[in-house]
Amino acid sequence: MQKEDLIKKNPLRVLSPLSTESLPDHRMGLIMARAGLGKTAILVQIAMDSMLRGHKVLHVSIGEGLEKAKAWYEDIYKYIVESFQLDNAPEVEDELMRSRMIMTFKESAFSRLKLEERLNDLVYQNIFRPDIVVVDGFDFAEADYVSVMDLKEMMAAMNVQGWFSALRHRNDNRKSITGVPAPCHEMDGLFDTIILLQPEKDSILLNIIKDEYDSAAGKILNLDPSTMMVKEA
Amino acid sequence: MKANLDMLRNIGISAHIDSGKTTLTERILFYTQRIHAIHEVRGKDGVGAKMDSMELEKERGITIQSAATYCKWKGHAINIIDTPGHVDFTIEVERALRVLDGAVLILCSVGGVQSQSITVNRQMTRYKVPRIVFINKCDRTGANPYRVAKQVRDKLDLNAVLLQIPIGLEGDLKGVVDLVTMKALYFEGANGETIREADIPAELQEEAEAKREELLDAASMFSEELMEAILEGTPTEEMIRKAIRAGTLSLELVPVFMGSAYKNKGVQPMLDSVINYLPTPKDIKNTALDLKNDEQEISLTPDPDAPLTSLAFKLEDGRYGQLTYIRIYQGTLKKGDTIINSRDGKKVKVGRLVRMHSDEMEEIEEAAAGDIVALFGIDCASGDTFTSPDISVSMSSMHVPEPVISLAILPIDNKAQVNMSKALNRFTKEDPTFRTYVDHETNETIISGMGELHLEVYIERMKREYQAEVQVGQPQVAYRETITQRAEFNYTHKKQTGGSGQFGRVGGYMEPIDEVEYEFVDQIVGGAIPREFISSCDKGFQKTLGKGALAGAPITGVRVAINDGASHAVDSSDVAFQLAAIGAFKEGYQKAKPVILEPIMKVAVEGPSEFQGGVMGSLNQRRGIIVGTVEEANYTSVEAEVPLSEMFGYSTVLRSLTQGKAEFTMEFASYKQVPKSVSEEIIKKFQEEKQKS
Repeated sequence: MQKEDLIKKNPLRVLSPLSTESLPDHRMGLIMARAGLGKTAILVQIAMDSMLRGHKVLHVSIGEGLEKAKAWYEDIYKYIVESFQLDNAPEVEDELMRSRMIMTFKESAFSRLKLEERLNDLVYQNIFRPDIVVVDGFDFAEADYVSVMDLKEMMAAMNVQGWFSALRHRNDNRKSITGVPAPCHEMDGLFDTIILLQPEKDSILLNIIKDEYDSAAGKILNLDPSTMMVKEA
Repeated sequence: MKANLDMLRNIGISAHIDSGKTTLTERILFYTQRIHAIHEVRGKDGVGAKMDSMELEKERGITIQSAATYCKWKGHAINIIDTPGHVDFTIEVERALRVLDGAVLILCSVGGVQSQSITVNRQMTRYKVPRIVFINKCDRTGANPYRVAKQVRDKLDLNAVLLQIPIGLEGDLKGVVDLVTMKALYFEGANGETIREADIPAELQEEAEAKREELLDAASMFSEELMEAILEGTPTEEMIRKAIRAGTLSLELVPVFMGSAYKNKGVQPMLDSVINYLPTPKDIKNTALDLKNDEQEISLTPDPDAPLTSLAFKLEDGRYGQLTYIRIYQGTLKKGDTIINSRDGKKVKVGRLVRMHSDEMEEIEEAAAGDIVALFGIDCASGDTFTSPDISVSMSSMHVPEPVISLAILPIDNKAQVNMSKALNRFTKEDPTFRTYVDHETNETIISGMGELHLEVYIERMKREYQAEVQVGQPQVAYRETITQRAEFNYTHKKQTGGSGQFGRVGGYMEPIDEVEYEFVDQIVGGAIPREFISSCDKGFQKTLGKGALAGAPITGVRVAINDGASHAVDSSDVAFQLAAIGAFKEGYQKAKPVILEPIMKVAVEGPSEFQGGVMGSLNQRRGIIVGTVEEANYTSVEAEVPLSEMFGYSTVLRSLTQGKAEFTMEFASYKQVPKSVSEEIIKKFQEEKQKS
């Protein structure tokens, strides 16, 4: 299979159809789930899809090591190569490597200021100019509206799209009117796209509960728990 | 004699230069009665020249620095394994870390955690070595063990927990308070050999209780029993020790001890803690690779009755002749046994088996799993695995990476010449990634290895250990060539100049392959090339592989198939077909879009976060791809993939960029195609050199 077909066939097209050639400017996306349902897998697939389309991705991982983040990309890429028999796999991988950078922070070492400083380092020295920043492991429970807004503004100023993952807690049942659960129930206005992961009998549903960009709201995708790959519902 | 594994410890003592490793090791040997008097590394007046340990050894006739030294403490056997001092990641360091089960990390109470300690600590983490910390030199001005313990937490990211607090500091250092027994320990007698236990001095009581509270808090994480006992107010010493041990073995807790080896304070409790908290060989999971099953990992059991599996980790030319140090992981090694070297399958008979003490050696009849002993007169390389004849496993992969860098060395005089060959002979045995050969075109001795630093270490060792001083040439990157598409060839070699002629025609194709470096496929049907000349074709192709047409680099990743040809009843010969094959290869090679490959290194730079931007910039300038960064507290490591050719002299650049506060490690990652502009330059240079010669 050619790279182009892979992009076309990706179920994530629901979120960013090819008709919108360039990425929407500073969209903020959020993926929410309980622990272990596959938030990181989805973030990595969103990142991988953008990379295949020629965009640059900065993957920020808070609390997890570099090796772990790398392994996610390697596993998912390996799966794609094998199950779709991707042509020129080594060349494509090389290209992907150049389109990705991973930054890992210890929980205590992460702050908006730090991230901004690092991003500036990259951009001013012309080392890496990301189009999209995925942030995995940001602690929304400890963050308030203002601090997330701060992050959003920073990303807007840098002209990058942001995707976040948020952990839901089992015994916190608070919800916003739009159905966004805690700990993000008070910040749903800050995000353009919100996806909720819900375990079903033998798969995991990706419930797109909000989408201001391509009106994918209300659509549902599936996550195959055995491969951690997104597929059509 | 079957060793009881519970009574055995294999430990390394690791330290930053000048934090007192030699003195501490000497004290250990004194207290364990391996040596009978103490001599100072520095003279009494403190201004005398500092003797290094090698000179010290010479003068004293002891071998503190031998690869493994055996001693006994309170009924337990302790093998102290020398961990090499240089920090770059060579195979030697890797081996030393593999052989030990636990380690004592010595830190200076004034200097604290320095960059070298950080590197060593990281390597230990990588090899999952449980460790304890000994904060030495508490008698020095400016000593502050609390600050050092905090640094261990912050900079080394270890869960450091004080098990002692000092009684007095600097010149007033009197002893330590043991927070488990809640007793004060004083070290008396001429050499501190008598330990007097007393009540905690009143002025320290409050602090001791506070620190004990912290200790109990940390330890209770590893034992429910202890947690309950603390709630009931009845924790026993045994419970606390058990919990600390569990934490230490799981690498989630690092007990911290302190004292001053020089002033004979605190060494014995540290030895007790080696017994109490560091692992026995049983506590560590070791694995080997099954050679019969595609190098699948299998676990080893420290069972003396299982088939023997052991690793020769160090060769040493001592005053007793050549010794091979060996760690037994499984089974029993007996004098007179026949064992197999799994690298070459050769049978070896075990002659003399000895245990090395600091000042003597002891002949033994056998040694069992977990132990470290030395063999005499075994011809092997370090890193070789020895097993019973009935199994086929290896402790390390048989796949030795090809060297990526080489440089020419020239001995400065005759004496250096002789010593150099001795040294090279030894080094190639010690380290399979280090190679040497004589280039017949230039008559130079070439050494090659896995990186600039790797070779520098050996050049330095040549000078220091073998008195072989050499002039060093410019480092050369080991490029390779390969093809990127399939191409056909059809070449006729014909020569008719009187006498018997030469004739051979070879047709076929070549194509890129990933898995192997070269593959020959015979698809000849109907005898177009007679059977006896098929191997001549193969030979001819192989001859061209050594030097590619682009840069004179070895060609890899090529499958050559022959499917057509012609011969002559009289003029065809082995030579004729070899020459035809060479011509055919050259013809096909040009059409197959050949490219140059260069070694790409995985580079990790670590240093204070403030320099991160500059470091990334410097890597980026060197055609590096930044894979990622890891940021913790104020320390950041940057990982990148950078072409080796761009990394020459990087240590100097990094030093000036970061005020010497960052350091880097580098290991070979893969071969990748060089970008076009660089490739053109390499080709141009090669052509120029070709014309010159």
